[in-house]
Parts: sequence; C-alpha cells; structure tokens
Amino acid sequence: MPDVLRDRAGVALGAGALALIAVVLIATGEKESLVIGVISGAAYGLLALGLVLIYKSSGVFNFAQGEFGTIAVYVLYLLHFEVPYGLALLGALVAAVVFGLLLERLVIRPLYDSSRVILLVATAGVALLAISVEIWFGDAQGKTIDRAFPTLDRFSILGVQVSDQRLLLLGVLATLAVVLALFFNRTNLGLAVIGASQEPTATELVGISVRRLSTFTWALAALLGGLAGVIAVPDSGGFTPGILTSAFLIPAFTAAVLGGMTSLPGAFLGGVIVGVIQAVATSAPLFDFIPGSAGTLVVFVVLVGVLAIRPQGLLGRAA
Amino acid sequence: MSVLEARNVSIRFGGVQAAREVSIAVGEWEIVGIIGPNGAGKTTTFNMITGFYTPNTGSIWYRGKDVTGLSVDERAALGMGRTFQNVGLVKGATVRQNLLTAQYLDAGYGLVPGTIGSPASFSVERRLNQRAEELAERLGLADLLDTQVAGLPYGTLKRVEIATVLATDPDVLLLDEPSSGMGPEEAHQLGDTLLDLRREFGLSIAMIEHHVPLVVRVCDYVYCLNFGEMLAEGLPEEVRNHPEVVTAYLGEDADPAAAALEGQLESLVEGS
Amino acid sequence: MATTIDRPVTEPEPEPEQGRQGDRPFRPSPLGWLARAVLALALAWLVFVFPLSQEGFEVQRFTTAVIYGIIGLSLNVLLGYVGQISLGHQAFVGIGAFTSAYMVSVQNQPFWVAVAAAAAVGGLQALVLGGASLRITGLYFALVTLSYGLVAEQNIFQVEELTGGGQGQAAPKPAGFETDWRYYYLCLAFLALVLWVDWRLMRSKGGRALLALQENPRVAATFGVNVRMLTLFAFVVSGVFAGLGGALLAHNDTFVSPEVWSFNLALVFVIMTVVGGLRNRAGVVIGSAFFALLPYLIDQIGFIEDAVAAIPAPRELTAELAPLVLGPLLLILTLVRAPGGIGQQIRPIQRWLGGHRFDLHDHGPKEVKVADVRA
Repeated sequence: MPDVLRDRAGVALGAGALALIAVVLIATGEKESLVIGVISGAAYGLLALGLVLIYKSSGVFNFAQGEFGTIAVYVLYLLHFEVPYGLALLGALVAAVVFGLLLERLVIRPLYDSSRVILLVATAGVALLAISVEIWFGDAQGKTIDRAFPTLDRFSILGVQVSDQRLLLLGVLATLAVVLALFFNRTNLGLAVIGASQEPTATELVGISVRRLSTFTWALAALLGGLAGVIAVPDSGGFTPGILTSAFLIPAFTAAVLGGMTSLPGAFLGGVIVGVIQAVATSAPLFDFIPGSAGTLVVFVVLVGVLAIRPQGLLGRAA
Repeated sequence: MSVLEARNVSIRFGGVQAAREVSIAVGEWEIVGIIGPNGAGKTTTFNMITGFYTPNTGSIWYRGKDVTGLSVDERAALGMGRTFQNVGLVKGATVRQNLLTAQYLDAGYGLVPGTIGSPASFSVERRLNQRAEELAERLGLADLLDTQVAGLPYGTLKRVEIATVLATDPDVLLLDEPSSGMGPEEAHQLGDTLLDLRREFGLSIAMIEHHVPLVVRVCDYVYCLNFGEMLAEGLPEEVRNHPEVVTAYLGEDADPAAAALEGQLESLVEGS
Repeated sequence: MATTIDRPVTEPEPEPEQGRQGDRPFRPSPLGWLARAVLALALAWLVFVFPLSQEGFEVQRFTTAVIYGIIGLSLNVLLGYVGQISLGHQAFVGIGAFTSAYMVSVQNQPFWVAVAAAAAVGGLQALVLGGASLRITGLYFALVTLSYGLVAEQNIFQVEELTGGGQGQAAPKPAGFETDWRYYYLCLAFLALVLWVDWRLMRSKGGRALLALQENPRVAATFGVNVRMLTLFAFVVSGVFAGLGGALLAHNDTFVSPEVWSFNLALVFVIMTVVGGLRNRAGVVIGSAFFALLPYLIDQIGFIEDAVAAIPAPRELTAELAPLVLGPLLLILTLVRAPGGIGQQIRPIQRWLGGHRFDLHDHGPKEVKVADVRA
C-alpha cells in the first residue's frame, strides 16, 4: 500500500518538524508558547478535521464550519443555566449536528450540481446568517461560560500550568485521532465515505447511497466543529458572536491546507503546527515590530507560503 | 522545410506510455492525416504539438524553430490553430462572440486601451466584427451569428469550430476529428471545404480522423498510430492497405464480420 | 422582491430576434413609446431628484448606495468574470478608504490625488495578492482573501499613522463638493465612469477572453490568451474599483474608523453582488444599492418596519442588523431558485424599455454550466 506508506512518511515528516520546533522552543525558553500552542492547535485540528472530511466527500470548502462550533457554544451557554453541565454539553452537540444536517439538506443538496465556488459562497452566507442570528437573539456583547472541569492548577507540563479543560481538549483530540483513523480504515461505513469521495459513480453501483453518506459526513463534521467550540471556548475566557469563525476558522483552514486538504492526520498535525507558530508569534519579542496581532499576520504568511511553494501541503500528494 | 514537426516525442503518464518516439511532419500546404484506433495516442500527440503537454523526450519544431518550451498561447501566436475532439467553443456565448473572442491576438489594441474604451479600440472592434461576419458567411453560418452555441447540432458545432479557428488567423491547422458527428454526405462536404480553405487561406493541415474515405480523399500523407507508437506512414492508399494497419483496426484474424466491415470500407472509399 | 422570486426558472425556447424570414421587427406603438418614456423618467427622477428631497443625513445613505454600486461592480469582475471569490473585499475597500483619508489629512494632498492614490493602491494590492495566488485557484483564493481581510483588520488598520488611531482618520469632502447633494452627484459620476469601463471591458478583447477563460481555459489558450496575464489584469481592475469605492466611502462619512471593516462587511459585499446577478451590470448596481439602503427602507417604510417588528424573536431586529439576517437568506434563495439574481428578473423590463416586446419569460441567454474550478 504505497499510499499508506506515503501518508506515514508525511506524518513522520510533519512530526519531525514539530519535534524540531519543540526542541528549539524549549531551548530558547519559549516553553509556554509551546504548551499553549499545542493546546490551541488541538482546537484548530478538530475544526480542520471537519473541513477535510467535507472537502474529501463533497469537494466543498465549508466556511460555515466555525459556526457549527459557535452555535454549540451559544446553546451550551443558554442551557447551562437550566440543566446540569453534562446535559447542556450534549444539547450543544445535538444543536451543532442539527445545524449541520439542515445546512446539508437545505443548501448543499439543492446546489449539488453548481460550481464549487458557488457552494463556497453559499456556506459563507450560512456562516453570516448564523453570526447575525447570534447577534440578534443574544447580543454583540462578550459572554463567559464555566469550564466543564474548573480545576486550573492540578497538572503542569514543562512547568506550565495546564487546566483540566485543556487536558480534556488534548484527550478528545488524541482519542478522535485514533477513533477516526480506525473508522476510516477498518469500518465499512468509513471506507464507503472515502470511496464515495473518490469514485461516486462506482460507489453508487455497489449499492451505497452517496446522498446518505453526504448527510452522514456533514453530521460528523458538524459534531467535530461543535466539539471544538464547547471545549475550547469556555477555556479561552469569553466569546462573542461568530467567535469560531473570526478566531478559529482561518488557522483551521491553514492547518487543513498544511495537510493538503485531504489528509486527516495531516489536519491534526497541521493544527498543532499552526497553533505553536501562532503562540510563538504572539509572545516572542522577535515579532514585536508587527502592529496589532502578530499571530494573525504569521498565519496569513504561512497560508500563502504553503500555497505558493507547496500547494499539495506538507502531507498531501501532488495532484 | 516542414511547417510543423514532432521529432521523436515520448510522454508517459504514470505507468502508461501514451506516446513513444513519435515523429510527424507537416509540409507547406500539405494535408496530413493521423489515424489509429482509440487510445492510440493521437490526441496526446496533438497536445504535445500544441503545448498542453510537454514531452518527456523529443522536441516540437515550427518552421525551423524549436518551440518545445513555449506555452499554448505563445504557439497560438506563432500560427498554430487547433480544434478539439469535444468541440472547443465558448458554449455560453453566441457564434459571433466566439468569432470575436478568437481574434484576440489580431485585435492589436492593448488590454488597458480596450478597457477604458480608446477611440482606436472602437474602430478595431468594427473591423473584427466584419471579419467575424465574413468567416460566418464563408462557412454558411451567417444565419446563426447571434445564436447561442450551446444547443446547436453537433455537425454545425464542428463547422462553427472551424470558422473560429480560422478567425485566429492560423498558418497551420490541427483538427481533432473534424468529421465526428457528421453523416457520409456532410463528411464529403467537409472534405471539399478543407481543400478549398487550404487554397484560400494558404493553410497546412494536420488532422486526426476516423473517417477513412475522407482521409484517403483529402490527405497527402498519412500516419497511423497504435498503442502510442508509429505503426505505418506513407501515402493514404499505402497506409490503408498496410497489413499491420488492417490488423490494428480489424483484429488479429479477420473473422467474417470484420471482413464484411472491411468490404464496406472499401466500397465507401471507392464511392468517394 | 417577493413577487419576483418564487417564479420557477424555466428555460424558454430560444427565440432569435433576427434570422427569421417574414417576421417584421417589433416596433412599439406611440402609446408604447410614451409608456416607456414615463417609466424612464420615473427611474431618472428616483436616481437624480428624489434623494435630494431627503434630509442631509439621508442623502449620505443614498451616496453610500451609489458607492456600494461601485464596490459591487468590483466584486463582479472577480466573481462574475474571473470566477474567483474574494472574501476579503472589505480589506481592499478599507485600505482604499484609509489611503485617501491619509493622503488628504496627513499628506495634505488634494482630493483628486488622494482618490487616484487609493485606486492605485487598490490595484497594486490586487496585483500582489493575485500574483501570489496565481498557482492556486478558486477555493484557495477565497481562503487567502479571507485571511488577508483579517490581516487588514488586525494588523494594517492598527498602524496609527495610517488610521489615526482609535478615533479614526478625517476625510473631508473635496472643494466644490462640500454639500451632501453635490457629493452625491460626484459619486454618481464616478459610478458612471466605472460602468463605462466595465462595459468597455466586456465589449473588448479582454472581457471576451475572460468569459472564454472561465468556461474553458484550454480553448482560451488556443485563441492565444495568456491566462496568467489576463487573470492578473482582471484582479487589478477589480482592485482599482474597490480602492476607488473605499476612497469615496471615506469622504462620504468624512472620516474612517478602523472598526467597520469586518468579515461581516465582506460577506455583505459578496451577497449584494450575487443577489444582484453576476455578470449583469444593472442587476449588480441595483442589488448593491438595495443592501446599502435596506436599513433606510426599514426605517422609512411603515409596513416593512411593522413586518420586521412582528417577527417573533427574543429581541427586536434592528434596521442595522436586518441586512445581515436578510442578506444570507436572499443569497441562498437566489442561488437555489434564481441564479441570475435581480438582473435576470428585471431583464423583461429592461428589454421592454429598450423598445422590445414585454416578455415575462425572457431571462436572457441560457446559463451554461461553467467548467468547474475545483481546486
């Protein structure tokens, strides 16, 4: 299986690059950036995973992916006053999945034959709709939510305090990495999703409904987006309407691009790489000359750089 | 000196050798036919000649100049005009718009003067429009000038395509299956048209064609490709009767059905 | 709007006007000409006279509507003619606005120099960003522009020298056009200029080649079109329009603040262009003006205000927020039900005004599915 081997080689390359960055950061005393970067990168990775899934299965760049997360955050916020936190979390994830299913049914499916650019415009429109409904039903003010696990100082990694919530994020990401890898390589449904993306006609011929798979993929992507939102946002302090679109979507896309838009492990790894680079840019004095948020600019440079120099991504294959 | 020459070009896609050491030459005022079964590498060779593919080895020469490194539009500017197997037209536009678009290089004015509407660009536009009408008239398309291309019958599309490629003011035409979708009668007319156009416009022509009678009637020289390699070349009659060519087209041991088909081919050729 | 949208888009049989023997060309009766003249005059009144009957502050809104027309045409060049989508157009417009304000307030240059500089900077930006993205297509370009929009918001607009810090940069109206209504006419003149350029672009070799390129790049190349050159050229045209629109916006509000150039605004720009109707000049301008005027319409027209207030929601839908909620809904409705947008719906009226028969089902040439720009 040369594809698998190439995938593994790519992952090894990415992991090697990451290890190198880690060593440099520890050596230069930027340990905090490393830990914070890995954690925020885990959230980007979660979101990027959904982007890659949808791109693989329907060729769409889903600009509403971030809003799967923001909707979940708002539902969590509203519910956690009323019901136990665990139940509120469940409700939030259900809301994200329902949103994903509605989007697939009402927007994506009717536009199935349109050009991909039109589909992209449609998902961006849905993102704006979600943001404005959040402003309308809530308000534009920032809000905060409690963490699922309030303890902040139980553990430390490399001398940096890591809250339980952040450990949860890392744990979820690691678990999902394994579960999804098994799912796509070992289960019939997982193989069917990949098959449908590569050979839709052949998949139909062997009796699998591509439409059902599309529904399933969107639901799964929405669940991943929702997870990213409900775990990462309570930990980051506060949130405003469209928080996952404004603060997470671009790094997540950059992560997906690093993984060549098609590699699931690449998306994970890309997320962590982007997270670390962003954290370093934000804290390292080297980048102080940049006006405003240095992290934003550096992510932009990484994105354009990867697209200009290696459009197939670090882990993707040349077309 | 030949107008256009492919010298020993080879190209490989993954594990498939699509063309191996193929050499083709088109002389001044010649009509050259390229035949061969489906998948023989005919269109691939065209794509290398016109610049869509770069050959792994070998080179493309145009009037004594090595053009292997030039892009498609640069080769078009030198005078290569090309049609496509599945009709190379802007289908959302009208016939007139296609004929105007094809005169891109002839327009003369720059992009900026055209966009700000310089007086010169207006007079050039009138000239281009006139030429579009002349070409449409010449190919019997005058009635269809303002009809959208999408929806025209296939045979008509092929004629529109030839008008369009003539509008690019070519020196050598590369036609990919110009008679596909045409009946014997139409194909016969197409032969007349090609012979006339060669005289009127001083063209050299290379064409990929399946319709053997047409090839035999209009071509001065014929190449036959099979599995990416040159099987035979020579005068049309020679190539058509070449035993390997007959085998390639009709299978190893010609069974009765194939023999009947061959007979049909013969009679078609004689009829033309 | 409501009456025009739910008609299913059925393709009429093509009915060429010419080329049919024995069919006399249609000529409207004198009464028909009169009716057309009345409608034309009414439209002219709406554009040239009506806005002046408004209070000064409201005239500014109409000016904004005119400028949005320019911005819509800018996006139309990218989205309609090239087939690339910019999700960071607010950055192009915003940088145009700040450039012009900076030239006038800090460099003490006259308005005309400032506007020219803004247009030039707009074109340059598009050239650089487009050049960097030439190897990638469609979907990735959207991503690059989205990211660029955020960079503009969070980095470029944090440069105090350019933006004047938190309180914004002053951008006074030019000499001779100090009053709101004079400035309104100035912007109309600029819109006319942009419309002229757009019209000539599409009627000359560049525009024809762009359409060919979008539908079939291989065919365009065999016509001798240099794909990269032409694409970059279209980017620059779009960037110049955007820079110009930004400069005009700045001087309309007489100051520019760094806060307004957000992702939401970029999306409103995209939506107004698509809802207006890609590749349709009149449609794009009407769609853009509609979105610019939506808050005004909600404020001024009683029954719309009542209808909006009647929507059951925990909080009232404000006139400022309404375009952000309504816009995406109209966008999706347009994409799913009437991809030609407003431009396609008004075509029968346009044709009628031009002296043709009124044909309700005339939606113009059939839209041929554009070759996919799958990245």
